Amino acid sequence: MSTKRETKLDLFDIQGNIMQNFAEKGFIKARYLFLEIKNGNRGREFVTKIKPLITTSARWTNDASDPYGTTEPSATSNISFTYNALKKLGLPILSLHSFPDEFAIGMRGRRAILGDNYSSDPENWDPVWNTHDVEVHMLISIEAKNMDNLEERYNKILSLVAETNGGVILFDGSLKDEDGKEITYQDAHALDNEAGQPTAKEHFGYTDGISNPYFKGMLPGMGSVIGGGKKNPKALGIGEPKGNQGNPILASTWAPLETGEFILGHEDEAQEYPACPTPPLLGKNGSFMVYRKLHENVGMFNDMLEKTGADYPGGKEGLASKFAGRWRNGAPLATFPNEEDGKKIAAAREAAQYKQAVAKTPEEIAAANAEFEEVNKHFTGFDFQKDLHGGKCPLGAHIRRVNPRGSLEEDSASYNTPSALADRRRIIRRGLPYGTSTPNSNTGEHGIIFMAIQANIKRQFEFVTQQWMNYGSDFKLANEKDALLGNQTPDKDKDGNPIENVDGTMVIPGDDGKVPYFVSQIPRMIETRGGDYFFIPSLTTLEMLGKRIIDPT
Amino acid sequence: MPNRSTSKNSERAYGLSIYCPIKNEHEGDVSFTSLVRTALQDFKEDEDSPMAKVPNTYLARFFIVDDVIFESFPHTNDHLQSAYLAFSTNFHGNLDEYLTGMYENMNTKIHNVWQYCYGFEKVKDAASFIAYIKKVQVETSYFFVGSNDDSLPEQLKSLYLKQEFSKFVFANQSKSDDELLAAYKEFDARTKPAVLEGPTWRAGAGSLKNVNKG
Repeated sequence: MSTKRETKLDLFDIQGNIMQNFAEKGFIKARYLFLEIKNGNRGREFVTKIKPLITTSARWTNDASDPYGTTEPSATSNISFTYNALKKLGLPILSLHSFPDEFAIGMRGRRAILGDNYSSDPENWDPVWNTHDVEVHMLISIEAKNMDNLEERYNKILSLVAETNGGVILFDGSLKDEDGKEITYQDAHALDNEAGQPTAKEHFGYTDGISNPYFKGMLPGMGSVIGGGKKNPKALGIGEPKGNQGNPILASTWAPLETGEFILGHEDEAQEYPACPTPPLLGKNGSFMVYRKLHENVGMFNDMLEKTGADYPGGKEGLASKFAGRWRNGAPLATFPNEEDGKKIAAAREAAQYKQAVAKTPEEIAAANAEFEEVNKHFTGFDFQKDLHGGKCPLGAHIRRVNPRGSLEEDSASYNTPSALADRRRIIRRGLPYGTSTPNSNTGEHGIIFMAIQANIKRQFEFVTQQWMNYGSDFKLANEKDALLGNQTPDKDKDGNPIENVDGTMVIPGDDGKVPYFVSQIPRMIETRGGDYFFIPSLTTLEMLGKRIIDPT
Repeated sequence: MPNRSTSKNSERAYGLSIYCPIKNEHEGDVSFTSLVRTALQDFKEDEDSPMAKVPNTYLARFFIVDDVIFESFPHTNDHLQSAYLAFSTNFHGNLDEYLTGMYENMNTKIHNVWQYCYGFEKVKDAASFIAYIKKVQVETSYFFVGSNDDSLPEQLKSLYLKQEFSKFVFANQSKSDDELLAAYKEFDARTKPAVLEGPTWRAGAGSLKNVNKG
């Protein structure tokens, strides 16, 4: 047998939501279905029947000879399972027990670690997550370019559900739409701008979803190694003084992360196989997903910007940028501390995106993609080596907390790679905004459907949430939380009684010797409305679950 | 069967191991590797296994090698250029006869499984199957140790007789000589120790139920 060094994945065996960002391909309408398996046999029949509808990670192309390619579908669908679903489907007990504890416990049980208290407490979650006789077993996500295609796929899945004669049920009346009407699904969609064009913005007005991890086995078009990978151990950095990790705009500064950080059955950053259920084929090419519905208190956010922005020297937009670490147009503060520079690069990126959207011929598409990549690297290719004290991008800014990009290492010579402390905490981000909002919206249905995909929920999503978003010790920020996503203590408890010691603070370091600014009284701007932990099986495992032939012995 | 130092034929038994590269292609949205796996998972088990119909098979195993196992630090990142279908079988007799019997008894299944492998399109009959297998054969040294080198019918008959004779002993241990002789004659007439065709165990029997239906 001959070997080579390049990682090659069976993209047809890996579910598509793991390696493809459907929203980036214009699939900006989404629907999430929550199902319970009432009968094991009919549940397995359902799993077998839905398999042909599952979208894989194969890239979309018109080139029939592409060994990694398939034609673009009219709609995508992906399926994942909770621990109780696997139990109901008859997975052997030895296999069940081989899954990680946090997955078996689920999001509700892990609320103390996630900081889901007060308004985020599970007792305040949507009914589908919060009713004793309801148990979410399967999550099916559908994405499409338009509602017609989405509805068509939805109806196909509904007919498969109907064929189970009650063996699988779609939760009925467990969710509420924007008008409070009960519905059987959660919809999400890109938010339109004033001209009615879809944008990548969420309800606070930030351009979202810019940076995602880049790992071995990804093909061109699946992501960007610049900023998406890890700091290249072969580039400058190891054994050299802190601050010297190479120019972040260059591809040579970065290297793809190991596949096993995101997909089971492959080598990870610890140079071993990630913990995987038994038998290994059950886990291989699968992953774990966190589904989390995050409500956004848009009115509170805007009040905060108005009040504190009037006092903060950088003004309202400056304050918004310091919270996130990017201008609301997406330009990163580390490279574009000046608002005008940020606006220029954001306009260039928008123009490149427009060219991508209107490109028709293969040549036009290739040219538009190349132009976009050239501009976009300024949005992804940055680090904090020239900003170690946070004068440009605060240490507590959201994007710096969730991906410190090598800025945590005190002595880079001590680590295998210059970004070692972040490399094992990366997550693939999926999801779209839901609902519509006005600048004053607090109550109501609007926020983000947030999904995090990783090999290890405990080490990746839970750690980032607990230690980096809801705590500040690693950044020498004591108990300061993420201003945007932190679980700041609300000023009132659930009965409306005032709470003392509201803890929402943020230090914005001054740049070039200027004094810092202290933001206080930050309210809880994001609240959890429900969610759970899911296993995304490979297509092979899906087939084996349907046939009940998984044998751990 | 004792360990063989190589896969070369011995007097009475043979150990064959082959690794067949699976094409890096796909049919619709399913990779060839998954199609091979599904074809194998669709095999029936025990007496109904297609391998049970292949004369003189002691033990056979199919599996898929997706990639080489990563052996942790310090390491080099080696990967296979394709997945491989691995097939290992231990049998009585010589290779050509065995493969002919295999092709004659399960050629539909053979084509179902192997159609996704490089070079298999040349296989049209038993002779070309033999030529293909010899091309992908590898030398190995560890084989199933759990049988002597007798033919499968002889081994199945022996197992059957051992089982039946145990029952005979339990049932007749306190009888008189005459009674015992009569019982033994009945045993001999029923089990036909010299007749390999039956009654005997069935090839592939996975439990003692129905093993001696010939």
